[in-house]
Amino acid sequence: MYTIIHAILGYLFLLLTIRVLSRRPGGQLTPFEFVIVFLVGGVIILSTTGNDRSETNTVCAVLTIGLMHRSVSGLKQRFPKLGAWIDGTPLVLLKDGEWQEEVMKQMRIQDTDVMAAGRLKSAKSLSEIKYAVLERNGGISIIKAKK
Amino acid sequence: MSGAGYKTAPVEDSISKVNDELAVGADLKFQRRWWFFERCVWVLFLLIVIADLLGCFGRGYFSHAAQKGPAGVMDIQYERIERFSTPSILTVHFGPNAVRDGQIKLWASGSLVKPLGNQRVIPAPSSSVLENGGVLYTFPASPHPSSVEFALEPATFGAFPLTLQVPGTDAVNLKIYVMP
Repeated sequence: MYTIIHAILGYLFLLLTIRVLSRRPGGQLTPFEFVIVFLVGGVIILSTTGNDRSETNTVCAVLTIGLMHRSVSGLKQRFPKLGAWIDGTPLVLLKDGEWQEEVMKQMRIQDTDVMAAGRLKSAKSLSEIKYAVLERNGGISIIKAKK
Repeated sequence: MSGAGYKTAPVEDSISKVNDELAVGADLKFQRRWWFFERCVWVLFLLIVIADLLGCFGRGYFSHAAQKGPAGVMDIQYERIERFSTPSILTVHFGPNAVRDGQIKLWASGSLVKPLGNQRVIPAPSSSVLENGGVLYTFPASPHPSSVEFALEPATFGAFPLTLQVPGTDAVNLKIYVMP
């Protein structure tokens, strides 16, 4: 029973922790998905080094996390606002050639991060970028200005 | 109807747009609330870490405790905050007044065994007898005895009273908190 309670609390705690870590440019996973990567690994270590090293313990923990993930996933679909709390929303970094300084500062993103994303879209300078959007997974989408 | 039994639905332009041309779905009002919440969470995390460094959750300065018993009978050193399934030591230092007929008797309430999870007693008592809802330990002793250690490993969490008593003297009541 303790294993299942620990797994549920661990899932929720890690979800919160990873979410407040903020998105970093170039990220490939949403904070929501990071939870699985970290927590499954953590639970395996716990079950390996803890008092209960049985297979039953490990399986129950992994199943609990899987069920939590599926439940939260379902809730996100049913309640889009919850999805915003868990995964965040896209944020505009650059609009019509103007930096959105509040967003840049709060998300700790530099112009070099935007330019790096711009180069992937063949932009030669920042002036060629009309919109830069920080996506929920930490990636930066670039919309180039029309020539 | 599609093959799976679901109806099709027309695409609606449900994602909010920037400059009325780029569908992003940004919500700066929500984001500002989130940033505030994020700062609060980090402050909370910082306070938790500081509290842990100080031992407020066990295994630190504030968790160590000492309790004086009747003069010349016993003093106790223990962890007032324990952690679930984590070993710790409770030490009873005996004084000369605890010795009677070359032995020391110590009664411990039942909470010592369960839920505080006493694993072993060092040195091993010559006898341990179930008595009055607890355990009465008997140790052979010299006129200047030293101490006995109880290796605890709590089996559950919560707040638990623990009573230790050398028969014929005042009991010492402790309260031990076990963190999950």
